[in-house]
Amino acid sequence: MSAVPELLSPSVPWWDLEWLPRLPQRVVEWIVQFLGLPEWLAQIAGMAVAAFTVVGVFAGAFALLSLIERKTLARVQNRLGPNRVGPCGILQPVADGIKMLTKEDIVPARAEWFLHLLAPVLIVVPAILALGVIPYGKSWTPVPLELGLLFFFAVGAMTELSIFMAGWASVSKFPMLGAMRAISQMVSYELPLMLAALGVVMVSGTMSLPEIVAQQGGFHLGFIPAWNLFTPWGLVAGVVFFIACIAEANRCPFDLPEGESEIVAGHMTEYSGFKYALFFMGEYLGLFAISGLGITLFLGGWQAPLPGLGFVPSWCWFFAKLSAVIFVFLWIRATFPRVRIDQLMRFAWLCLIPVSLLTLPAAALWHHAGRGFSGWALTLPLLAIPWLILTVTFNKRMAPQTRRFHYADS
Amino acid sequence: MILYLPILLLILLSALGAVWLAKPVHAALCMALSLALTAVLYLALGAHFIGLVQFMVYVGAVAVLIVFALLMTRRGEESSEISARPRSWALGLACAFPAAAMLVTAAIQGAALPKSPPSEPQVSLSDLGRLLFTDYAPAVLVVALVLTAVLIGAALFAREPQKDTLR
Amino acid sequence: MPLPSISFFLIASSILFGLGLIAVLSRRNAILILVGIELMLNAANLNFIAFWKYADPTTLPAAEISLTGPMMVVFSIALAAAEAAVGLAIILLAFRHTRSTDLNRLDSLHG
Repeated sequence: MSAVPELLSPSVPWWDLEWLPRLPQRVVEWIVQFLGLPEWLAQIAGMAVAAFTVVGVFAGAFALLSLIERKTLARVQNRLGPNRVGPCGILQPVADGIKMLTKEDIVPARAEWFLHLLAPVLIVVPAILALGVIPYGKSWTPVPLELGLLFFFAVGAMTELSIFMAGWASVSKFPMLGAMRAISQMVSYELPLMLAALGVVMVSGTMSLPEIVAQQGGFHLGFIPAWNLFTPWGLVAGVVFFIACIAEANRCPFDLPEGESEIVAGHMTEYSGFKYALFFMGEYLGLFAISGLGITLFLGGWQAPLPGLGFVPSWCWFFAKLSAVIFVFLWIRATFPRVRIDQLMRFAWLCLIPVSLLTLPAAALWHHAGRGFSGWALTLPLLAIPWLILTVTFNKRMAPQTRRFHYADS
Repeated sequence: MILYLPILLLILLSALGAVWLAKPVHAALCMALSLALTAVLYLALGAHFIGLVQFMVYVGAVAVLIVFALLMTRRGEESSEISARPRSWALGLACAFPAAAMLVTAAIQGAALPKSPPSEPQVSLSDLGRLLFTDYAPAVLVVALVLTAVLIGAALFAREPQKDTLR
Repeated sequence: MPLPSISFFLIASSILFGLGLIAVLSRRNAILILVGIELMLNAANLNFIAFWKYADPTTLPAAEISLTGPMMVVFSIALAAAEAAVGLAIILLAFRHTRSTDLNRLDSLHG
């Protein structure tokens, strides 16, 4: 670690903002070194500042998202959304934060206070851990692990147990129901998530997320980016992955565990004040993490979509894609009704899992057939024919039925 | 030294909680804690893949399965188990103690036990994958068969009982 | 970071095994017996990893040391998960039959 910060290196043009995310960490390391403190302290301080940067950026994004979600849903529903606090309601997250922090913290008398206290913490911590392995820019992965994808799924698996803890510790019927539904939903949709990601691992040959993004550089035919979404298996696996994202994040149309009209707030019913805010934050941070992973695996991470746009910093592309994906999730939330539990399970086990299992031999076939036109030609029938069979058989049995209702006097 | 002994101690303490606590859910969560700490120990020992797989499978799947089964087999208030039959606890201790004592004696007095690791064993993911499909391929196929059988069997067992049409 | 001698890991895994054995022998709830079984399997895995870590490369060829421990643990974890699934399915069936998870109640074949 030299005394001169990297951001002053002469090889990088001054208008290239690639160094911006690294700035806090580098500044702190430089300050600690300048003060003559030992090397390991500089490293630890740098890592702490990098962690705080990630958490700070995404906590701010969470606050912004809570406002944008309410405004978007409102506009779709032909109303205005929050517009009282600040111009266009921009200070609404601040008001929400103050409300959450100053509410009385009610713990039911029969609840087991330790698990009740631990559950919100154990929902936020995996989300923050997962946010640490995603490559946000060309040179900015907070923790570049060789097994980054496996780490992501491992910490995601912890969320299920903490939702159960939340439901169990509040000794009450609605949280228990919500917890059971949440566990069954998350377990069912973990499989398509992992199977879809497995195709990417197979083709890229590595579980390291920065490496997976780096392999999606380049352009086919001059203008189509070589993202994994634009491959036959990647298209199917990407769609499956993003559907499973919505289910894993407990968002509409898969928000049975917190169905407001059915079981009050599911596993979060007996929580108030800051603990509820932690649940909320954990859910949204988890959404950011898992959409970030989807973007890394299928949408090329920080790669630019067109050849000439390399001057825009890579982290800008990542956050632009993240905004687009989150907007699509909000759009889906505003449009679709909630699915029933049996429809949810049937969709996961009978539709998503077979389809995602098919992407694995499709990816292998595509890779060995040369990754080009012949790859597409061989793989499309393998994917299209089962999909057609599945949709035709499902349509026969599960198509919306026409029902005729007669009035009583006719 | 300072890193491994506290983790081992915590693993043993949470396993003790899993064995001793009366309420089933508390015991199951203590077991999950013990397994999670073992995963942390594997990560600290350098077996990164195994540590993450242990976390994902044991804490994320087995522990969730166990608590789900506990939820589905509730009958109301769980009765305390420790005060119910003290005889079986003493019996269990009497059976387990010689086994553990034998193992501990073997551990202490083992002749050719290495004292400290001479070098860091290197595990790379590609080596692991290649071994799984070349040397250990028969084992992988057997495990795949076993897992398929388990999937079918468990789904069959845990199905809702089919209502007879004879009324 | 200096590592302790292997005895610490082996003693810890032995005690863990003993604790699992106590749980299997003295618990009445069938699911908690499964918890004990998982603890025993965990102790065995810990043993594998400890020996893998402390293997002396001068006495064994490198290819044998480098991955045998993790390999065994991978299969052990997979089979432990499978056996937990089947065991819980059987317990659920027995629960439906006798409305209780108490193993002492499953004694209709008792002499």
